[in-house]
Amino acid sequence: MNVGVAHSEVNPNTRVMNSRGIWLAYVISVGVLHIVLLSIPFFSIPVVWTLTNVIHNLVMYLLLHTVKGTPFETPDQGKDRLLTHWEQIDYGTQCTSSRKFLSISPVVLYLLTSFYTKYDPAHFVVNTASLLSVLLPKLPQFHGVRVFGINKY
Amino acid sequence: YFQAPAYHLILEGILILWIIRLLFSKTYKLQERSDLTLKEKEELIEEWQPEPLVPPVPKDHPALNYNIVSGPPTHIITVNGKECINFASFNFLGLLDNEKVKSAAQASLKKYGVGTCGPRGFYGTFDVHLELEERLAKFMRTEEAIIYSYGFATIASAIPAYSKRGDIVFVDEAACFAIQKGLQASRSNIKLFKHNDMADLERLLKEQETEDQKNPRKARVTRRFMVVEGLYMNTGDICPLPELIKLKYKYKVRIFLEESLSFGVLGEHGRGITEHFGINIDDIDLISANMENSLASIGGFCCGRSFIIDHQRLSGQGYCFSASLPPLLAAAAIEALNIMEDNPDIFQTLRAKCERIHKALQGISGLKVVGESFSPALHLQLEESCGSRENDVKLLKRVVDYCMNSGIALTQARYLEKEEKCLPPPSIRVVITVEQTEQELDKAASLLKEAAQSVLN
Repeated sequence: MNVGVAHSEVNPNTRVMNSRGIWLAYVISVGVLHIVLLSIPFFSIPVVWTLTNVIHNLVMYLLLHTVKGTPFETPDQGKDRLLTHWEQIDYGTQCTSSRKFLSISPVVLYLLTSFYTKYDPAHFVVNTASLLSVLLPKLPQFHGVRVFGINKY
Repeated sequence: YFQAPAYHLILEGILILWIIRLLFSKTYKLQERSDLTLKEKEELIEEWQPEPLVPPVPKDHPALNYNIVSGPPTHIITVNGKECINFASFNFLGLLDNEKVKSAAQASLKKYGVGTCGPRGFYGTFDVHLELEERLAKFMRTEEAIIYSYGFATIASAIPAYSKRGDIVFVDEAACFAIQKGLQASRSNIKLFKHNDMADLERLLKEQETEDQKNPRKARVTRRFMVVEGLYMNTGDICPLPELIKLKYKYKVRIFLEESLSFGVLGEHGRGITEHFGINIDDIDLISANMENSLASIGGFCCGRSFIIDHQRLSGQGYCFSASLPPLLAAAAIEALNIMEDNPDIFQTLRAKCERIHKALQGISGLKVVGESFSPALHLQLEESCGSRENDVKLLKRVVDYCMNSGIALTQARYLEKEEKCLPPPSIRVVITVEQTEQELDKAASLLKEAAQSVLN
């Protein structure tokens, strides 16, 4: 019954984004979000795309760059207690495949959104600000950086 | 067709270029090794100097010349074929050889067999374990207790279950080796204060407080603990618990009390140092003790509030990942607890004997008594050391051998010299048990006086 469930990962958070099927689940959930927003009758297409982009980036920022530590106890006495999930991925190794995937997906969403909002300036401002907020923390130079001491402890 | 603003298109172009760069750059996987070149490998092989597998050790190293005990280490112990009175085993209440304890253990042996062959979570929990935990919690008047199968591992697992990296632990310098290993495993910041020096501890706490005020956000996520022993094994004295409680509430630090030597010794009913000082047991966050001294069993227990003890059932490494206590030892511990509850006057008897020998050992030329007058494990240290630790150890060995030849079994306090944080000076450890008669105590005291006279003068 418990065959193959034992693992020697000290912190399972590091391998979540490499698990089987998670990239597909991520793409499908963004699609589902988009369809749900599309089904609200009084939003126009550009508004729906901007909302998808903004909500996706907001949730990604909260889950990957705000919440720190692990929801379970790890055997390494809390080594990753002050690290966000993004910093924990693959034990801090930069430019792995899941990090690349998570960096590219907001950019792809942004490109689609710019096309469907017909390059409107107001939407441009909102979408670009949201994209920057989610791309900057992913740069390798920002590993472990806490601007203005926000979210440090 | 709509007009796209130039800035937007330029930005999109930059982003697409960045995506292409990311896609075509090198993807790192974990376990990225940098292989050494052949030349570097050869260089490293040439540089390597093989060390001997077994380092050279002098022939008279104490670990190579040990005394062999045949039979149980009870009141009369047979060392190297010679019968001596046992002043070395921590059998404070004489329960090692007690008939009731032995018959309870034998009945349990017939019922359960010898071992449990499994940790507590994996079919290793028997009804005797649960009964022992309940009985200990009721005896110590706390909400819950948890049993470990090895006394050393009790406090060494309890401390890292609560204190993690980034937390601060204030610990006494004379803490025993088990506490030191627990602190090392916890990876926390350790602040040592001088033994029983409340002023030093308060200074450290105040320093921590000023640092906390400079960085309140960090202070809010830092846990603070204080680890003290009830009766210190290395020095034989007790911690000033009322002042520690005051400091605890003033500076918001949690107390972990290690009662291995004081459980079953101090207090009216043997409940330890909290009963000795009359302190409410809820003031102490965690009490940890090993059952290998007064209870004459093996293993250890922690007791406290349910909320605290329950955490160790998943986070106590020695609880989850070691086989549980053999049921015969648990049954023996339950029977020992019964005896302790039924005869509360043995504690007073033990303390009277300790006072007697403490007084009798005063004034030996060359040896000074270190320890409280009611402590059943006291140390005899050399008044003036003769240069190096090895020579002191050799001198004390001669004293111990003199006593052993005349029928009193004593031992030196042994330490892992390279691993201890604050190595205590070499000493002879005298242990008083309830079974020793007054004549034997007087005989031991006079023999020690003779030995000191002949060896040290």
